[in-house]
Amino acid sequence: MSQATTQRRLSPGAKAALGIFARYATILGLVLMIIAFSVLSPRAFPTLSNFTNVLNQASLAMIIAGGLTLAVVVGELDLSIGFAASLHGVLVTGLIVSNKLPIPVAILIIIAAGALIGLVNGLIVTKLKVNSVIATLGVGTILTGLAFAYSAGVPIVAGVPEAFLQISLGRWLFGIPNNIIFMVLVLGGLWVLVERTAIGQEIQAVGGNPAAARLAGIDVDKIKILGFVISGMCAALTGILLASRLGSGTTSAADSYLLTAFAAVFLGSATLRDGEFHVFGTFIGALIIAFGFNGLNIFGAPTFSQFVFQGAILIVAVGLSSLGRMLAES
Amino acid sequence: MLDQTSLVGAAAPPLVCARAIAKSYGGAKALRGVDIEIAPGEVHGLVGANGAGKSTLIKVLAGLTQPDAGQVLVDGQAVGPLNPQAATQLGMSFIHQELAFVPGMTVLQNIMLGVPKKTRAGLVDWRAIARDIAPIVERVGITAPLNANVKGLSTAENWLINICRALVRKARLIVMDEPTASLSAHEAEKLFAIIRDLSASGVAVLYVSHRLDEILDLCHRVTVFRDGESVAEIGRDELTRPRLVEAIVGKPMAATAPLAARNTSGAPVLEVINLARHPRVRGVSLTLRRGEVLGIGGLVGAGRSELARLIYGADRPDAGTMSLEGQPFAPRSPAAAVKAGLGLVPEERRTEALFLSKSVAFNLQLTNMDKMGALGPLLSFKKRETLALQIVRDLAVKTQSPDTPVGRLSGGNQQKVVIGRWLLRAPKILILDEPTRGVDIGARGEIHRLIRQLAAQGMAVLVISSEPDELPDLCDRVLVMAEGRMVAEFTGPEVTRQAIVSASYEAQAAERIVS
Repeated sequence: MSQATTQRRLSPGAKAALGIFARYATILGLVLMIIAFSVLSPRAFPTLSNFTNVLNQASLAMIIAGGLTLAVVVGELDLSIGFAASLHGVLVTGLIVSNKLPIPVAILIIIAAGALIGLVNGLIVTKLKVNSVIATLGVGTILTGLAFAYSAGVPIVAGVPEAFLQISLGRWLFGIPNNIIFMVLVLGGLWVLVERTAIGQEIQAVGGNPAAARLAGIDVDKIKILGFVISGMCAALTGILLASRLGSGTTSAADSYLLTAFAAVFLGSATLRDGEFHVFGTFIGALIIAFGFNGLNIFGAPTFSQFVFQGAILIVAVGLSSLGRMLAES
Repeated sequence: MLDQTSLVGAAAPPLVCARAIAKSYGGAKALRGVDIEIAPGEVHGLVGANGAGKSTLIKVLAGLTQPDAGQVLVDGQAVGPLNPQAATQLGMSFIHQELAFVPGMTVLQNIMLGVPKKTRAGLVDWRAIARDIAPIVERVGITAPLNANVKGLSTAENWLINICRALVRKARLIVMDEPTASLSAHEAEKLFAIIRDLSASGVAVLYVSHRLDEILDLCHRVTVFRDGESVAEIGRDELTRPRLVEAIVGKPMAATAPLAARNTSGAPVLEVINLARHPRVRGVSLTLRRGEVLGIGGLVGAGRSELARLIYGADRPDAGTMSLEGQPFAPRSPAAAVKAGLGLVPEERRTEALFLSKSVAFNLQLTNMDKMGALGPLLSFKKRETLALQIVRDLAVKTQSPDTPVGRLSGGNQQKVVIGRWLLRAPKILILDEPTRGVDIGARGEIHRLIRQLAAQGMAVLVISSEPDELPDLCDRVLVMAEGRMVAEFTGPEVTRQAIVSASYEAQAAERIVS
């Protein structure tokens, strides 16, 4: 019986075809979706302003997903990001409104707080050897508690200065929304870090085979902690931009980014590479989700369908990702 | 072959009989047609050096692997292709070195694992089951309560549970693989008593061990494997230590061509004094010199790889000191060891050394990124490519390009990549653990030449090998390790296959007397 299962092998041709399908399925899906929406809604969908709008909306998710990519590339999961971003949104408005801190100072403090949360996650996972799912779920829950403690659950709305709102709502070069510019800078920076620096090669090595990375002389714990720190910093930036966009610091405002980020990251791992997480893939993954939601909105799909879409896309994403890995390893 | 009379009932057919079993893995022949015959109630020993084929035969009997040729007979009847369930039904039970347990469950649950259980109103009736197996538990002598969690139990108690499990399944043959490897002398004595009792009651035991004293003590008959062949079957009356060692080691082979220069006079690079990490490494001292290839021989489980991990900082020692070029050396991690000038080619290439889905260039770069700098923190992929191509050419790695995933290369070429990783770094000390395992004969020669060349350039090389022929081919000096200690040293012309293998076994006899 065990033999029957081990000998069930695909022919090389079928394997190659499946491999190509797994690598390009996500991009094909994105293209087909854009074509389909364009045909079905030629007035509302395929316009420059709608595309800019989609990208603008998606930028926050892309930044937090970009950070998550670093955590998963080093072989861990970070479930604290959504809760952390919510807390950061509350804190940044609080610092500006209640403590009257200058906006840049408040932002720097929050980014540093994000790094600190990442450091705590990383230390718990590497030094206390707590599984990262549990560690970051625990930390995330604590952060939610802190957000409630700080704001008593009441959104901080009054007195948010216009300059803070303009961070997210403003436009810059050629009228490109600031969010998109932030997103391009963050994802571009992360891509260079992972793909083009020595640290990035070590990051990939640790995710690929931690035991081998350690014996090749890489400080595995340090690299893992770095992954969590970057994830934490990106969550902070997303929290700040969301507070700026909403004009308020609201507990739980960013919680739902967790699912979106995971779906984007796993869709991305099935893009162009065989189940390997990478920054560009995450960008494509987030784009698919953004266009999907946009389409649902344009067609006035009921709210429940958005949950169905989000859940389904997460499962499809992870499925494609492990299919790619299976084909690469067989 | 030699002694066809079995102890119990000469006329009865053998309980289990394997005939002309052959098995190859890739190109390597693990078994070249072995025979073994086990009578009911017999304690049958199976011995042979590392890689002689013992484990492969056990896997065939257990139905874990299918032989390429040959036949297994039980009660004189040929059996079809075996799988684990069929082997159990035929009355064969296997107790491996790494005991199979479900840690969170109780002793009783572990004993009954996979056995149909008595139920009452649809629920498992543990009380009735406990009552039913009480005689077996008593006979084996399990003292732990049946409802205790197995997690806290000693290895010896785990062995007893496994024996219970075998008996509950009505085993007629219990195969024990290195049963005393992790037992104390006292615990081992207890196990021997149980084995004798099993034998007396008609249950046969296939006793696989490197420990010849135990074999001499316990076994009614012994089959000896060498290089995938069954070379001797020795009956009780002829069973002596010299006879066994002779059969295991074999006739002296034609002397291998002596190396041009045996270099054992370089300056000491690494000094290890009384290094220990219990239980596998128990106080090892050695000196490694510049420009020499120092081999460490011994049986599997002697503690050699564990020693390498201690030197390399992958594990921390309990005791002992090291010095590197006269300076105290206590690496906290492999990263620290690498920085100090060490390199390791680990035993398990695929799991401990390579990133299989990544390219050859990626696999080569990790230790060499300081040579690939471009602007600021950026890497130059052009330099990486040049560097990879250089290593690929120097080592004649057969790969389509440096971008090919390393997992697609053959074993020998994968190993060249792992070694190549260290070449440009030119470490002071390179440790190679089983450098040619699973490597074809051609690549093996190339790897050996490369190792000699590195030593000639002044590197100090430490080679661990379980292949009896490898160390004489390669080394200036060989240390033999047994039971966590260094037990013999051979230099230059003394380094022969026979010397290493006999030292591995003899040392263990001395060890027993001491303890």
